[in-house]
Amino acid sequence: MPAAKDNERKLNMDGILTVVCFILLLIIVVIPIFMIIYNAFFFEGKFSLDLFTTQMTDSKNLSAMWNTVQIAILTTIIGTIMGVFYAWLLGRSDIPAKGLMRALFNIPYMFPPFLGAMAWDLLLNGRSGYLNKWLRTTFGLSQMPFNINTIWGIVFVEVSYYFPFVFMQVVSALERMDPTLEESARIAGAKQGTVIWKITLPLMKPSISAGALLILTTSLAHFGVPSILGYAQGIYTLPTRIYAVIYNSTGSFEGIRQGAALSVMLVVVVALALILQNKILSSGSYDIIKGKSMRPTLIKLRGAKIPLLILAIFTLVLIVLVPLVMIFLISFIKAYGLPLKFENFTFAQYQKVFNMNGTLDSIKNSLILSISAGIISMFLGTLVAYVVQKIKPKGKEVLEVISVLPYSIPGTVLSIGVILAWSGAIFGISLYNTLWIILIAYIARYLSFSMKTSSAALLQVHSSLEEAARVCGASHTESLSDITLPLIRPAMVSGFFLIFLPAMREVTTSILLYGPKTMTLGVKIYSLRDAGMIPQAAALASVAIVIIIILNTIVTEITKERKGV
Amino acid sequence: MADQVILRNVTKRFATKTLGDIVAVDNFNLAVHEGECFSFLGPSGCGKSTTLRMIAGFEDLTEGEIELCGRLVSSSEKNLYVPPEERGLGMVFQAFAVWPHMNVFENVAFPLRIQKVSNAEVTERVNKALKHTSLTGLETTYPSDLSGGQQQRIALARAIVTNPKVMLLDEPLSNLDPKLRETMRFEIKELQREFGFTIIFVTHDQSEAMAISDRMMVCDMGKIMQIDTPENLYNKPVNRFVHNFLGESTFINVDVQGGKVYPKGDHTQAISLDIPKDAAPEMVVATRPNEIELLPATEDGFKSRIEKRIFLTDRTEYLVPVGEQMVKIQTPHRVRFAQGDACSVRFVDPMWYPKDDEAAEKERAKRQLF
Amino acid sequence: MANVRFENITVGYGGHMVLKDFSLEVQSGQIVCLVGPSGCGKTTLVRALLGLNKPETGTITVGDKVLFDAKKHINVPAEKRNIGIVFQDYAVWPHMTVIENVSYPLKKQRRPKDEIKQRAMHALEQVRMTEYANHLPSQLSGGQQQRVAIARALVTDSDVVVMDEPITNLDAKLREEMLLEIRMIQNRLGATILYITHDQQSALQLCDKMAIMQPDGSLCQFGSDEEIILNPANRFVFEFIGVSNFIPVVSMGGKYALDCGEKLPLPAELNPGNENIAGKELGVRLNDVVFDKQSPLRAKVSSRIFLGSEYNYFLRLGQKEIRVQQDMLAARLYGTPEEGEEIGVTFLNPHYYDPKPPEQAAAVVESGKKKKFSLFGKGA
Repeated sequence: MPAAKDNERKLNMDGILTVVCFILLLIIVVIPIFMIIYNAFFFEGKFSLDLFTTQMTDSKNLSAMWNTVQIAILTTIIGTIMGVFYAWLLGRSDIPAKGLMRALFNIPYMFPPFLGAMAWDLLLNGRSGYLNKWLRTTFGLSQMPFNINTIWGIVFVEVSYYFPFVFMQVVSALERMDPTLEESARIAGAKQGTVIWKITLPLMKPSISAGALLILTTSLAHFGVPSILGYAQGIYTLPTRIYAVIYNSTGSFEGIRQGAALSVMLVVVVALALILQNKILSSGSYDIIKGKSMRPTLIKLRGAKIPLLILAIFTLVLIVLVPLVMIFLISFIKAYGLPLKFENFTFAQYQKVFNMNGTLDSIKNSLILSISAGIISMFLGTLVAYVVQKIKPKGKEVLEVISVLPYSIPGTVLSIGVILAWSGAIFGISLYNTLWIILIAYIARYLSFSMKTSSAALLQVHSSLEEAARVCGASHTESLSDITLPLIRPAMVSGFFLIFLPAMREVTTSILLYGPKTMTLGVKIYSLRDAGMIPQAAALASVAIVIIIILNTIVTEITKERKGV
Repeated sequence: MADQVILRNVTKRFATKTLGDIVAVDNFNLAVHEGECFSFLGPSGCGKSTTLRMIAGFEDLTEGEIELCGRLVSSSEKNLYVPPEERGLGMVFQAFAVWPHMNVFENVAFPLRIQKVSNAEVTERVNKALKHTSLTGLETTYPSDLSGGQQQRIALARAIVTNPKVMLLDEPLSNLDPKLRETMRFEIKELQREFGFTIIFVTHDQSEAMAISDRMMVCDMGKIMQIDTPENLYNKPVNRFVHNFLGESTFINVDVQGGKVYPKGDHTQAISLDIPKDAAPEMVVATRPNEIELLPATEDGFKSRIEKRIFLTDRTEYLVPVGEQMVKIQTPHRVRFAQGDACSVRFVDPMWYPKDDEAAEKERAKRQLF
Repeated sequence: MANVRFENITVGYGGHMVLKDFSLEVQSGQIVCLVGPSGCGKTTLVRALLGLNKPETGTITVGDKVLFDAKKHINVPAEKRNIGIVFQDYAVWPHMTVIENVSYPLKKQRRPKDEIKQRAMHALEQVRMTEYANHLPSQLSGGQQQRVAIARALVTDSDVVVMDEPITNLDAKLREEMLLEIRMIQNRLGATILYITHDQQSALQLCDKMAIMQPDGSLCQFGSDEEIILNPANRFVFEFIGVSNFIPVVSMGGKYALDCGEKLPLPAELNPGNENIAGKELGVRLNDVVFDKQSPLRAKVSSRIFLGSEYNYFLRLGQKEIRVQQDMLAARLYGTPEEGEEIGVTFLNPHYYDPKPPEQAAAVVESGKKKKFSLFGKGA
């Protein structure tokens, strides 16, 4: 009975894959999350709400929570309005140089927001900002005109990095929208403005809310900007507060436990946002892409063209150019505080940074970590996707949720979970102060990226492609390796880059996990700045920016080639 | 009857990157009468959609002028262009274009709301439009819960609710399945009878056009080929293109010699046909597979035999050699021949065209790419 | 080349029987079309033949090779059955070139390289695709991709080639061309082809023999195109093959009458003879209703529509509306009555069937649903 045997073998292989999948996710995801909850509510093996209630009633924590919510909501509202406006301008109007501007508007997406925060702090710091000083002397003001170290300052920097979430969603929806939906409103007698207000915007609502909620959840969990801009002024958000608590306790267990309790608070806030997101997104996306493909008619801006073009260019300069240029300029300055004049410029800061202990190591660490996290998550994500999409075991929904979960919880929280789990609590395994612990955190954090891309690709591999191979004489395993894997390989590769690039510039997770020898590039810049070595920090940041630009270019080239096939 | 849509010397040129300037619409002159159903028919890229979009006001014209209900709406000379919302037209699109964020009632009410019609009147007029499109009872339903046919009915209701004099239909039935297409065709005619609007109907499907229109325009490569009633177009096409486009065609290349007609390349047997006066030595005889009589060999006609027989659901097809060419003949099932049988073939009243114009075919292929 | 025999095949999914005791024998070297509305189990049957699902009972033999026998517990795995398959969505592998696609089955048979190349090129020649050998499927049109799929199915000299709705995704003109092509390839190679479709029109154009399946999964007629057109086995086949008018027949004073709201005597020449047709329905195809000045059956033209190749009429016969198709030749020879005109009609080739039970009507509507398919499956 050759057939029966074949079926059994298939069953076994699928079974093994499923079990492996569950075990790996248990280790990487479930245990850290469990450890947070356990430590927040249990003390020395007994259930206790004491820790939680003391943390909840601490006024510092409450104000941090209020700040977090305030910043997130303001960022979301302003970012959404800005994203929709520019999406419409670049997607539907006849403004010139659309392609170029679109590419430039996506740039903030490439860089870690904390670099932007650094640059703006240098420019608009309430006491010593370069721009502030210049404005005060030029206009003879009695005090500094701007202060970036406020809630509004934080919101401003976050908006400039997060509005592309809405921008990108809406611009692509606008482009794919069936133009006759708008034309039929014109025929019905509506003027251009009425059409935008009554038809276009309502139709964009699903894309707008998807982007807006992404801003909301990201901002709630965000660490970099508030830590750089708010720290000095005592403006805390939950993620920076967690960091401060742990940092101040110099890594003691009590500090970590307090952090765990705060984490639960943060998770609750984020979870509320996620529930809102699910509610709104499931309430329906419209099917607005049908009919013949026709270029939508562009709306003539006529007289408003030039002013709007200037506004767009000004925005680009403000959010893209100014921060980057500022970081480069400061990296050349002899000493922080000196005026930005040519005679004060030097290359010495670069020399200093590279002669410093650990700088090269931090670059090496980041490369090692992001490459290995990319590769491991790529395979693990594909494995999960395969099990979920093709084997479809009982409990596949659980598998899906578990693999997406770590991305929904803030990076700071994830780090605490990883610390609690892997510094000796389980089987006495302690990975603290090694690269391994950061690696585990990265894998957990980015797993869902590769899972989602592989999953989408697998869904597209129609079962008849595999069946055709079977009928052509290929066994189950052969059809997998000859047909399925090659077909999803491009998706796996792009999954790798989706992980590799953000991991290269990661700060939030690593800042709680690094040890003396395991600093990452982001952490190194952050701590240089923290230690007041601002020109050196700027020098290293400039190096990081160059690395990021090079990597992004390479990735774009590679993915372009693939699309050509 | 007054002419309601008039195009005078309308020309539209596009600049393209690959092919340079393209004349999408070349000097169109036509007049659509009041209450008429007029179709624009042609292959894709023939200029029919561009013409419709110029009438609707989505495209400006390069030259010429357009008059709607006695009012000039586009004119290159006077530099006049009335935007679509001020042309007072009804229009239905291929992809329905019903707004997914509004329920059926609000979709239909939209044009009235723009006109700031009072609430009571909106309700009354929308209900009337819904009644005529058999949508009563679905007022609060959203389009995504409705079938394609129902969505197209919403679009129709939305178009008739303002009582426009002219209705533009841009391939409104192409996205529906064949059965529904036929029903909707009747419904559109019914609405026209009720509301008395003039229809301009754009389609690439000749049988649909013939079934619905009073008159139609056949165009190709940006040029008007022929404007006439469906029966005249089908029976007396002015050229080979129109003949082929309006239905399955059989073209037989013939030599005209000494008052006789021979199939090309085989002069052993003549085809008995009346030769037109101006016939060149080489001609094309055009007919249609179901207009060829297939008779027993004992009857008069071109003698041949059945090469192949194919049964189809509603007819039988026979392949019969005529000279070097294989001619397809369609008959009802009751006309029975077996494969290999001898037979006689008669061509009933065919059309005559000059020998193939290959240049035209090549130009067409280029268009298709664009 | 070999004949294919299905005997007493039963397939069920979760308690629902798709096929029950299904038997069919396909002669070697023929094109047999398996036709039926979607959901009738025809795809289930071919999947059983391919080894992609497992019937509960019965045997499947190709030539003298038993592929499946429920009693003897024989179930040859899919990859060892040597059956070619062409899917509706082509299923050419988008990451392989045309020649790689076609060579794949030979590679799996571990043939020598020279032989693989030579046979793959030969198969491409058969489908006129040699010049595209090094193209990727995404560079080909739908029709060309389907040719590649056919070449891949032919390359191993399979005993049987199964084609599952291979032309459904192509446009009308290309469909016609592909049918001719399949026919020509079959002529050259003499392969046994089992062709699955829900489209009776293309089946008629292609097949040597046709097997018609009912929605319940049973075989209701197996015969040549001529037999099926002229002598449909039952009402289902008659209706499936084309559109018809149905008029109830009642008895009136020892004779028969048509019940059209008012009773119209059935002309003697339409009487089928011995058979008792009272209580049945007269079925007649639209183009078998012809105008005849002498006929005692009088009808009034309520509308006339010109469709190009034919005229369509709606006639009022008593209180009943009937449809008529008149082809252009008839229109030229016998004229086209105007709307409102009264004319005599007669019926050619009438059939008499039992009235349709109401639930069967629902089943026919159900069959109109469309299948989903993924873009990627086409090799995009």
